[in-house]
Amino acid sequence: MQHTITFTHEDKQSTAIVPTGAMLSDAAHLAGLDIGQPCGGQGRCGRCAVQVTDGNVRRRSTLRLSPDDIEQGYALACQTVVEGDVAIHVPPQEKIERRLTTDRVVAEVTVPADYEYLQDQTVRRVHLRLSPPTMEDQTDDWSRLQTGLRLQANVNKVNVSLALLQTIGDVLRAGEWDVTAVLEYPLEHLEQPLRLVSLQPHHVDEYSPLWGCAIDIGTTTVSVWLVDLVSGGVRAQVAEYNGQIARGEDVISRIMYASKKGGGQELRQRVLDTINELLETACKRVKAKPEDVVKATIAGNSTMIHLLLGIPASNIRLSPFITAVNHPPLMTAREVGINAHPEASVDCLPGVASYVGADITAGVLSSGLDTAENVTLFLDVGTNGETVLGNRDWLVTCACSAGPAFEGAGVVNGMRATTGAIEEVWINSETFEPTYRVIGAGKPKGICGSGLISLLSEAFITGIIDKAGNVNLMASSSRVREGAHGGEYVVAWGEESESGADIVLSRVDVDNLLRAKAAIYAGFTVLADTVGVPLETMDKVLIGGSFGKYINIEKAVQIGLLPDMDWSRFEFLGNTAVKGAYYALLDWKKRERITEIAKRMTYIELSADNSFYEAFTSALFLPHTDMSKFPSVAVALSSKVKGRRSNVGMTE
Amino acid sequence: MALSGIQIYKMLPQTNCKECGFPTCLAFAMKLAAKQVELSACPYVSDESKKQLAESAAPPIRLVTLKASSEIKAGNEVVMFRHEKTFYNKPGLFIRVKASDPDLAKKVATADAYKVNYVGMDFTIDGFAVEADGELAAAIKTIRTVSKRPLILMTKDTTLLDSALSLLAGESALIYAAESSDYEPLADLAKKHKAALAVKADSLDTLADLTQKIQAKGLEDMVLDLGGKNMSEWLARSTQVRKLAIKSNLRALGYPVIAFPCDAKDEGIAAAQAIAKYAGFVVLSEFKPELLYPLLVLRENIYTDPQKPIQVQPGIYEINSPKPDSAVLVTTNFSITYFSVANEVEGSGLPAWLVVTDAEGMSVLTAWAAGKFDAERIAKSIKSFDVASKVSRKRIVLPGHVAVLSGELEEELPDWEIRVGPREAVDLPAFMKQALN
Amino acid sequence: MPIEIPKDKWTGSIRAVTIGATSAEGGTRAKSITVGGQTSMPYLHYEAPMPNKPVIAIEIKSRKPDDWSPLLADAWGEAMADPAQWAKKAEEAGADLIVVALTLADSPEDAVRVIKSVLSGTGLPLIVWGPGQAEKDNELLVPISEATKGEKIVLGICEDKNYRTIVATAMANGHLVQARTPMDVNLSKQLNILISDMGMSKDRILMDPTTGALGYGIEYGYSVMERLRLAALQGDAMTQLPMIVTPGFEAWKTKESKVGEGVPEGWGDWKARAINWETLTAIALVESGADVVVLRHPESVKRVKSAIEELVAV
Repeated sequence: MQHTITFTHEDKQSTAIVPTGAMLSDAAHLAGLDIGQPCGGQGRCGRCAVQVTDGNVRRRSTLRLSPDDIEQGYALACQTVVEGDVAIHVPPQEKIERRLTTDRVVAEVTVPADYEYLQDQTVRRVHLRLSPPTMEDQTDDWSRLQTGLRLQANVNKVNVSLALLQTIGDVLRAGEWDVTAVLEYPLEHLEQPLRLVSLQPHHVDEYSPLWGCAIDIGTTTVSVWLVDLVSGGVRAQVAEYNGQIARGEDVISRIMYASKKGGGQELRQRVLDTINELLETACKRVKAKPEDVVKATIAGNSTMIHLLLGIPASNIRLSPFITAVNHPPLMTAREVGINAHPEASVDCLPGVASYVGADITAGVLSSGLDTAENVTLFLDVGTNGETVLGNRDWLVTCACSAGPAFEGAGVVNGMRATTGAIEEVWINSETFEPTYRVIGAGKPKGICGSGLISLLSEAFITGIIDKAGNVNLMASSSRVREGAHGGEYVVAWGEESESGADIVLSRVDVDNLLRAKAAIYAGFTVLADTVGVPLETMDKVLIGGSFGKYINIEKAVQIGLLPDMDWSRFEFLGNTAVKGAYYALLDWKKRERITEIAKRMTYIELSADNSFYEAFTSALFLPHTDMSKFPSVAVALSSKVKGRRSNVGMTE
Repeated sequence: MALSGIQIYKMLPQTNCKECGFPTCLAFAMKLAAKQVELSACPYVSDESKKQLAESAAPPIRLVTLKASSEIKAGNEVVMFRHEKTFYNKPGLFIRVKASDPDLAKKVATADAYKVNYVGMDFTIDGFAVEADGELAAAIKTIRTVSKRPLILMTKDTTLLDSALSLLAGESALIYAAESSDYEPLADLAKKHKAALAVKADSLDTLADLTQKIQAKGLEDMVLDLGGKNMSEWLARSTQVRKLAIKSNLRALGYPVIAFPCDAKDEGIAAAQAIAKYAGFVVLSEFKPELLYPLLVLRENIYTDPQKPIQVQPGIYEINSPKPDSAVLVTTNFSITYFSVANEVEGSGLPAWLVVTDAEGMSVLTAWAAGKFDAERIAKSIKSFDVASKVSRKRIVLPGHVAVLSGELEEELPDWEIRVGPREAVDLPAFMKQALN
Repeated sequence: MPIEIPKDKWTGSIRAVTIGATSAEGGTRAKSITVGGQTSMPYLHYEAPMPNKPVIAIEIKSRKPDDWSPLLADAWGEAMADPAQWAKKAEEAGADLIVVALTLADSPEDAVRVIKSVLSGTGLPLIVWGPGQAEKDNELLVPISEATKGEKIVLGICEDKNYRTIVATAMANGHLVQARTPMDVNLSKQLNILISDMGMSKDRILMDPTTGALGYGIEYGYSVMERLRLAALQGDAMTQLPMIVTPGFEAWKTKESKVGEGVPEGWGDWKARAINWETLTAIALVESGADVVVLRHPESVKRVKSAIEELVAV
């Protein structure tokens, strides 16, 4: 039976006709509405709630909806099926705030001192003056061009695509046989022919910019650097949230979404849209056009690369976790769908395994870990918690699912680090009263990752939560109370907050944060154990990921996220993936080095035995079950322990 | 001394050629260190490295196999405590019989036919220890009409043994036992018939002397009887022998141990100690299923690989004496997941049926992500545990983390109502009180 | 050839913990019981003498249990209806300690009365378990703790989600606590840390690592206990506590012990098998380092006790 579903959204109406049992979210999609599903339509996040104003529906799940909500007709679009004609009110959709404005994404980057365009670059511009054909010289256009290349550029063999071949006659004549070709030199096998990338009429100045771009497709953020391949300089840096976020916040949700009918195609289009918009913005900034971009180098985790290329990703999540491809072949922008020059080469950098992708190999390159003399640890503090350990002799890597807690997801009052996020908290150990700092200095809306680390650490050090994360309800403060999920701590009262509701740290939040930090800590400790290198002998700890820029080391050590060692050994690198892609874009030797890195990296599957689980449970404590690993925290605790005991009524 | 992965890696070619079947030399080296692969898988390793690696890989306790139609192995152990790696070769359980027993055929046949199932595995006894108080060869003939299991021959009489062993051509029996005074003819006999030889002495010093002398005669397969006047003495000796072999690399005592709980004050208790504490062969006085079954289960438990994730048995668990209309909750068989759900519900006093699905020991989210906890598996559990016969209200509560499965589960289980519960176990009692009515 | 016996040189030792107080010590018990104090792995007398041997506690209920195996009912008879009688019989059966397990049906007044009657029925030190539901446990244990101040009873069972109230009342009234965690070395350590962070002396904590019965996960408990003991001997202060285990409770939950009919023939005689199940579960745990073994059947008590005598004999 078919039913008519009428949606009202921002005073506009739209309808869809669907059969009994159809999902509301699918009906909305048919009606042309975009309802955000940050969990990928798994019924976990509750953000797709809509209001049923008339008609019959069946709610499979009411997770995150209160009895009041249900009374008022609210239902989760992704968990509710149609059982008749229905009228739906779609509330205003959450707007993704754009923190990623220019100022905050610009990384300091200098052209590698040894960069020599004519030696290192795989794409080069060649100026050719050909003699025009005559009745005597009836050589065809393509042969004429090949001969010109042989005599004037010492190129014996060159390949061309049909699409380009279709245009050369016009270009040669438009330039009156004076043309500029862009050639791509092959990467690995030098006996392979070169490829003609573009042909332009007339002479183009050798030293005018030749555009390439380095791209990092993060699960959360996509970054694009526009690079002049001649000078090697980065001319524009832009970044934006990955358009796929609306269909899932983590890789697993995305893979799930991609396996739905049409889901893979949709996700592919969403990330292409993000990339193409970014490319457009970047080109505008330097008064160039996207079609001027003749080469793109892409880093990203394996799932992101699969989704970009439209390759089914479901085996990535299924044991034994096998990718379709770790090292995709060179492709063209036309094939991939990037709005650069259609013949531009698109180089997806090689990854190692399902959960250690090209973002990490590129990160290793840009951090220099693969040439380090001493053993160095590289941490990507993010949802996938990738870790690399090694030096110039060997490299091992692992990934552990840390979850998105540090990115503000899966936490009751969590949010991304945008305007209104509490990013740092201090708590008075006598009164338990907090002081906090908000991004943008307005009223707080929620707490972002760095705020959560700060809050967890303060709550722990002041004794509001015990080492296991239990909220100490014996503490004498109205901010400590019994909440819907057990004990909770009120960071900001309703009157201080933007929404008017209290901003709290709940027991469930603490658990999520503990799990996230324990997973990351366990990941690198197991990795170090597996190869028999003690943590304290680590020369350097390099921290990557855009999140890595904002971590407060002291707090991160206090909660046991980072190892307790001399702070001078920590180095924050920012987005190492896009930087690695940039190096690979410029210099074929560095590009080859990434291939070597991917080959050399030994992937350790943490789920293969119990050691990760062991390390995880021992890290699931503040700061750690083995306090001797955190001497500085022991000192911090003992200096506060007196005040704390007297406050919580625990004096003997 | 066992080498670490990095130490082994340094002896390998470091070319990452992948011909061994592993993606890098380091990956291969780590597998070697974990003894999960043979060095011969690498075609390019140098002779020098081969020699060094072979020394570090030699098993500290000799593998001794008793064989007839079936076989039972002992030895090759590498750790003192099972959590350090695992215990590999389960001790063989042997039933003692007397050659002179008029009921020999019947007794052996009964014990031989014994088969008991424990979580899908069939357990049997491993063989018989024959006391040669009469015509041994005749007894062997009788036994072989009803059982083809490995034998332990308990006599020092070389004439009896020689004729008995001649009947067991192609098998490896164990001769029990040689002592300092009489080892020579027994060792010769064992060698002649390819049998293993148990050796017995009052002290470890004497025992080590004895094994060295026997080994000098060219016999390698030996089994140690440690004697000991009580449980504590036997435990001390068994621990010492294991430690000397593994930690001190003392080859003279690097052999499996045989224990005789049949002579102990409390046979069951002594056998349990022998199984837990390093015995390779255990001789029981008679066939008693009420003791044999618990011992077989204990042996299985102690020799389970502890590196596997800690799992609970999939099945339907009763919490707070549920009734047919009580809630049916579903979770995975990862032990911590199970415990947190069971504890929350148990603590609330609310009755419930807890269906534990085989998700290969993973937690709810991990299992779901890995495709081990999907609608199909849940439906299979509901059916195979016959949950429908226990409840009057066909309603299942799914963990909130897998709300997404509700639709598929409705299709798999059309007559069941599918409800999505909370994501965290701690919220279960409130959910059960408020939402399940 | 002379063989040098390898001996481990441990730096740590298990704390000696005393349960129960005599009149001289401020209580009313005929004697107190001390467990722990070891400086080597269990029963390796050639490494170090064993200062205190493991003890056996018999579990009784505050009310006659209706879900216990008929084999247990046969063994204890009418005494099961009267906790004081039951405790006395348990003492005669060889118990070193009595565990009184309270039920959800008990009111605080009932519970206090039962404990007082048991205290008068036996001179053995007591362990008292709440019914296992956080609020109810606290409701029953606090008045008991106050009413028996100074008796050095072990109050249980503290778990990571509910330990504060029990620990606080134990501290205030001079009792001990039983700290239970689900078969995990780290979780055991963590709970010990949480309890001692409250100011509880580590000489007043028994750790209960939880164990499955034979066939039901005993291997996890077994290895966790070995690891806890090894960690303690290596000097980890947070694991240097005596261990209490409950093989009686675990074994008598299993089908193998509970059920006499309709089971596979290969299981053999019911009664002998049921007692073997409890006894062998207990022995495996004794071998892996248990200090207090809580049992249910008098025959198992006799057998385990005799095995312990053999194991502590030098």
